[in-house]
Amino acid sequence: MIPAAFDYVRPSSVAEAVSALGAAGEDGKVLAGGQSLIPVLRLRMAYPSVLVDVGRIPELQGVRDDGDAIVIGAMTTHHAVMHDELVRQHAPLIAQATATVADPQVRHRGTFGGALSHADPAGDLGAVALALGAEFVASGPGGERRIAAADFFVDYLTTALSPDEILTAIRVPKLGAGWSSHYEKFNRVAQAWSIVGVAALVRRDGGTIAEARIGLTNMGPTPLRAFAVEQALAGAEASAESIAAAAAHTAEGTSAPSDLSGNADYREHLARVLTARAVRTAAGA
Amino acid sequence: MTAVSDRPAAEIGKARRRKEDQHLITGRTTWTDNMTLPGMVHLAILRSPMAHATITSIDATPARQRPGVVAAFTGKDFADIQGDLPCAWPVTPDMVNPGAPSLAVTQVNHVGEAVAVVAARTKAEAVDALEAIDVEYEPLPPVLDMEAAVADGAPLVHPNTTSNRSYTWTFESGAAGTGQPIDGALAGAEVTVTRRFIQQRLIPSFMEPRSVVVQPVGDGILMHSSTQVPHILRTMLGLTLGIPEHKVRVSAPDVGGGFGGKIPVTPEEVITTLVARKLGKPAKFTESRSESIMSAHHGRDQIQDITITAKRDGTVTGLDVHLFADMGAYLRLVGPGVPILGAFMYNAIYKIPAYRFVCEGIFTTKTPTDAYRGAGRPEATFAIERIMDELAAELGMDPMELRRKNWITHEEFPFTTVCGLTYDSGNYEAATDRALELIGWDELRREQAERRERHDPVQLGLGISTFTEMCGLAPSRVLGSLDYGAGGWENASIRMLATGKVEVVTGTSAHGQGHETAFSQIVADKLGVPFEDVEIIHGDTQSSPKGLDTYGSRSLAVGGIAIVQAADKVIEKARRVAAHLLEASEDDLEFEAGAFSVKGSPGSSVSMGDIAFATFSAHNLPDGMEPSLDADATYDPVNFSFPHGTHLCAVDVDTETGRVTIRKYVCVDDVGNPINPLIVEGQVHGGLAQGIAQALFEEAVYDDAGNLTTGTFVDYTPPSAADLPSFTTDRTVTPSTDNPLGVKGVGEAGTIASTPAVVNAVVDALRPFGVTDVQMPCTPERVWRALQGTEKSDRAASGTNAYGGAATTEGGAE
Amino acid sequence: MELDHSFTVPVGIDETWRVLLDIERVAPCMPGAALESVDGGEFTGTVKVKLGPISLTYKGKAAFVEKDETAHRAIIDARGRDARGNGTAAAKVTATLSEEDGGTTVAVHTELDITGKPAQFGRGVMVDVGNKLIGQFADNLAAQLRGAGSEPEHGADEAAPASAPAAAAPPAKAEPEPINLMSSAGPAVAKRLAPVALGILVLLIAVGRRRRKRR
Repeated sequence: MIPAAFDYVRPSSVAEAVSALGAAGEDGKVLAGGQSLIPVLRLRMAYPSVLVDVGRIPELQGVRDDGDAIVIGAMTTHHAVMHDELVRQHAPLIAQATATVADPQVRHRGTFGGALSHADPAGDLGAVALALGAEFVASGPGGERRIAAADFFVDYLTTALSPDEILTAIRVPKLGAGWSSHYEKFNRVAQAWSIVGVAALVRRDGGTIAEARIGLTNMGPTPLRAFAVEQALAGAEASAESIAAAAAHTAEGTSAPSDLSGNADYREHLARVLTARAVRTAAGA
Repeated sequence: MTAVSDRPAAEIGKARRRKEDQHLITGRTTWTDNMTLPGMVHLAILRSPMAHATITSIDATPARQRPGVVAAFTGKDFADIQGDLPCAWPVTPDMVNPGAPSLAVTQVNHVGEAVAVVAARTKAEAVDALEAIDVEYEPLPPVLDMEAAVADGAPLVHPNTTSNRSYTWTFESGAAGTGQPIDGALAGAEVTVTRRFIQQRLIPSFMEPRSVVVQPVGDGILMHSSTQVPHILRTMLGLTLGIPEHKVRVSAPDVGGGFGGKIPVTPEEVITTLVARKLGKPAKFTESRSESIMSAHHGRDQIQDITITAKRDGTVTGLDVHLFADMGAYLRLVGPGVPILGAFMYNAIYKIPAYRFVCEGIFTTKTPTDAYRGAGRPEATFAIERIMDELAAELGMDPMELRRKNWITHEEFPFTTVCGLTYDSGNYEAATDRALELIGWDELRREQAERRERHDPVQLGLGISTFTEMCGLAPSRVLGSLDYGAGGWENASIRMLATGKVEVVTGTSAHGQGHETAFSQIVADKLGVPFEDVEIIHGDTQSSPKGLDTYGSRSLAVGGIAIVQAADKVIEKARRVAAHLLEASEDDLEFEAGAFSVKGSPGSSVSMGDIAFATFSAHNLPDGMEPSLDADATYDPVNFSFPHGTHLCAVDVDTETGRVTIRKYVCVDDVGNPINPLIVEGQVHGGLAQGIAQALFEEAVYDDAGNLTTGTFVDYTPPSAADLPSFTTDRTVTPSTDNPLGVKGVGEAGTIASTPAVVNAVVDALRPFGVTDVQMPCTPERVWRALQGTEKSDRAASGTNAYGGAATTEGGAE
Repeated sequence: MELDHSFTVPVGIDETWRVLLDIERVAPCMPGAALESVDGGEFTGTVKVKLGPISLTYKGKAAFVEKDETAHRAIIDARGRDARGNGTAAAKVTATLSEEDGGTTVAVHTELDITGKPAQFGRGVMVDVGNKLIGQFADNLAAQLRGAGSEPEHGADEAAPASAPAAAAPPAKAEPEPINLMSSAGPAVAKRLAPVALGILVLLIAVGRRRRKRR
């Protein structure tokens, strides 16, 4: 299918992009890797008047070290992210989860920031960003601001970004010593979205789990933290039994959707099973 | 005279790479959508968003004002000229066919039905203009559930009918005289097992979406269409639109897959023709993938109620089958006949003395159904192979032992079945023994027992499918007895060019099968010419004027034989020329490796090339001989061919999540003599993928308003290579005795055989948990629900009754 | 799909009934809705649904098809078509009032049918989206009715939907001001998961909301 007509601008700096977006008003839309937007355009379910292509803005590309955090440029492709040395060293959870996104073609065009801004609750990276306590750096007419991951995801396909803001980078705190992680994804065919996904970060202290952070994919209109599980895991024995007991709390506070890929009760069940698996794998238990 | 060359290696049986692939897969070819003709207009079609509604008003005028628009038409504009889309298979004399407009005129009966068309200078302008067409619909109640559709007081899909039942087709072996009466078997049964199986609705996901270009030529048309059936299409367009057949030329250029999905005459082909003729300009329509998914015909969608009776010792005594078959909103070209093709396959490889088959074809407000790879036979094979496992469980017998006890042994061929078909050859024992050995069956059974013992959360399941199918459609007399609207013969002609090169014209129409390679191999061997010297011409009613096209695994077993017969005629003509040139008697000549020589004096010989040139120059031919070696042949098969095989599947079932993972898949197929083992292998692999897709992945889902909610591949979830195991394939060879090549078909075998092997494996894993069925596709959620003991587990959201089309009130785990 | 919501307002049943029948006050409770004209019992308008990049504008009509004063039951039938031909939406909303402790419980039963692209290509999320839209409608209606108790003169021109992320759309005409109560809650109104953010609203609207999807 063919999208409805739109104007296309390709700024070469963030400032230009912001001003182009501002000029476009409510019907402007940022084009990043296009792996979600273009299908929606082709299906004619979206009619932006202007597409602002941020694909040629050098400052949005790449990953850099910034002391206690790594900074991932919003337009870094999934492929680049999953093979990036800084990511693999300081946020291996991102590399692992990114490798499960769609298929190689999509990972070569789709971008880290684009996927997060699209805020599809079935996308894998939101839960990961949430669990890692990432900060989202946005630029708008009023300058730059940082948004905590917990505040970034507002609703289904909806973020805290205003229409004239663009996401420029994601700051991911480096994991300290003792942390390990695992992303457990469950889908029906290889390139599909997650039915449920679980991002687990665990800090072990000998035979116990000192601290854990759990992010859930597709268990509500936004990615979620499984706080009840995290609480139950804090100080728990790093054993299959106590992890399973903690994981039994996974569905608390979630509002899983019922859709073609699964009914809510099945998702809740899956979330418990996958959380136990993710934590066990992360904790080496 | 040239010296006789060394005898070339036989081409038949050689695993050649396909000669057509280079241009097909690099795109250096002409797909229909690549065509751009001078003055061509591009079409876009407005489709109904409603499942069932009256069109209370429709106005295409605003679209005509849009930029670039040349014309816009609604059903009213075409009502008097569009006729009805043809259905060539009135399976019963009283079958109800309410008619099928190409553009809906007063009422829409499924989501995706065409209601208006815009012609514009570019496709983008045409699509833009669709937004300007104003349609008002008055909703009618959707008709989704087949059983509810035939209940008293059910809303009618078509106002001009009195029931949503199109036909009831019955076969009973006692009445037919081909076996015993079913009533006796049912009444006297020691053991009876009854099951309901759901054949979910599937979408034939050919790689190239359908595309058609129509060029008005004088008072006729040239249609280029991505079709499987240029010849049938030509005849049917003539009948439907009243264009004399000789004024219609249809060309199927390279066609990117079909799987049955490109058999019917489509609304789009008719609409494009009408627009092109109205405007006097070439017109092109190419569907998008999502249009294809909702408006190109679907497959399967049956409710199968099946009862098997047996003695305590496992001897099967009777089989009683009742089908509801969803026709969707309209009868397409062969839609009503698809389930009937399956009627002859429920008895499969077994000696079943009594058999009844009843099929009710039902209208619903869903996309019409028609042939999809296997067409009726996968459904039949699934049901019989599943219920054999259920019977084995009931009897406490090993499922393979039950099969061995009931199948036709190799000494018993030819064997006439309870349906009256005569299976010419087969060796089920050999294929089965080989498959069991390849998969390591006994070792897997031991592992299964051990994992059950220790309550491994991941359970192992083993599934069997010992299948046969009928292909090589078909003996014309048999088709006639089934009220099919055409015969089943095939035509070929061979033209010997002056330089010894060979043109072979076939009436089959390849759309990815590899005809050019396989047919070239046959002709190279027959005529003794190099493989490279043979060109296969097909797919255009002008260059290949006579044929019945490609479906039902017929191209080799029917079309290939026509080529053999034409080649024999060429050889006989060449023999006459050779005898003249060698000054010998025809009877004293022998033909080998492309050359004639006098028996006993190998030094003197003439090659086919020499003879071809001599015939071309015609300076020195036998008196009275026409200067031509060319020949044609039309072959009407005497019988179907009956490939068979044994497919075994081992699955891991994660009882915590419900996920099924195929661990090992082994198949040993017997397709007779393989012409090209590599092509056979490719057909088997692709077929397996599609059969496994039905078992585990694919389902067309409608919601309770009649929306097709699996409108993209995101939701329809066809698997890719990443979701499938590495297949272990092997063959046994039991040549067909009914044709000179000893070949059987292979195009559908993998799809027909694999689905029950996978589902039997899933159920085998879960049987200790009390599970006796899992509805297809066996999604993780369905498997999990079966383990929870909860009732049926719709894949769809709980806000709907979506049931993949075959809506029922029961089913699932028992 | 069928959806059920209910809520209780501290307003008498007669007053609640009166407000409920005032189409110019009820219609804009639909998120993203803008009323264009009222002609007797029938009114026309648009409902704009915006969901991330997806935008649909349904243009259509609605009317009371039943006003049963004795049973305190009113039925609104609304039908619209997407302006770009992307499909239709039809809702039959049955509101039934019953007295409860001096206040009124409003049960809202909705039969919602969505056709076309949102139903076909939406990865099955339309069920949730539909539920959310109707949920917001019920929330807004509750707020409107609550307003009826304290500000009985609240007119159509002032009544407008809350700005909600799933269906945020300023009305196309006249830039009506949002209801004060709702605007204070802001986008969080739409968040089923953030009842705390609803603050005082939750206290006022005794929550009896439940959702049920049938068949």
